[in-house]
Amino acid sequence: MASITDLRAGLATRLGTISGLRTTTETPDTISPPIAIVNVANVNFDRTFQRGLDEYNFVITVIVGRVGERSAQRLLDSYVSSTGASSVKLAVESDKTLGGKCDSLRVTDMRNYGSLVIGEITYLAAEFNVVVYAQ
Amino acid sequence: MAKYVVTATVVKINGTDLSSSVAAATLELTAADVDVTDFGGSGWTEVIGGLKSGTVTLDFHSDYGAGGVNTVLNPLLGTIATVVLVPNGTAVSATNPQWTANVLVNSVSPVAGAVGDLATFSVSFPTSGSVTSATVAS
Repeated sequence: MASITDLRAGLATRLGTISGLRTTTETPDTISPPIAIVNVANVNFDRTFQRGLDEYNFVITVIVGRVGERSAQRLLDSYVSSTGASSVKLAVESDKTLGGKCDSLRVTDMRNYGSLVIGEITYLAAEFNVVVYAQ
Repeated sequence: MAKYVVTATVVKINGTDLSSSVAAATLELTAADVDVTDFGGSGWTEVIGGLKSGTVTLDFHSDYGAGGVNTVLNPLLGTIATVVLVPNGTAVSATNPQWTANVLVNSVSPVAGAVGDLATFSVSFPTSGSVTSATVAS
């Protein structure tokens, strides 16, 4: 039985393999980009009998810098890419059990590529949805 | 006795508990209707119960691990297997009876699923011989 905390930490560990990308499993008070924040969106319990499988849906928010920075978009493009050393999808899916914490996972899609206002600063960010199957 | 939400059905095949890899289970028992209509039926058909039969339908999550669904089920193709079903949890009782049936494993799906989906497959096995229920676990 994996806890949400374990799964979140496992995802953060995978994201931490991307060089230069900070990770956190808790929403920080201040943003220091580039950073990936792992949050749980929803959980679908009882996908099988006898508590055999739950479905966890996580959202990874990647924030790369102020929206006006020219380098920010190039950096975010590299995280969104399906290939390359900075690919979020590749980094997360390179260990589909998160070190044995889950049965399987998949980065299903990216959305909301654009500006994200935090405090009085507008950042460039994107969100990745990750579905995790765990007991 | 009370209504219940289905979350804890027990599914065993040849003694192996596969419950945690099963998403749905149905045991359906039927009796054939034999027509005995005669001139005394006042214009209505008349039937009596004939031979009984059953079907066990299971929705599985594929698993090739040790003791996993595919590991257990695939070698049984073409053979008679014993299926045990308990509707609501492991505690067998008068209000949670254990059903036992011998079934013909007439199909398996070693590979199933579309891209991006959780690997699942469904089977529907005909019963062979009598289907019994018990109020004490066997």
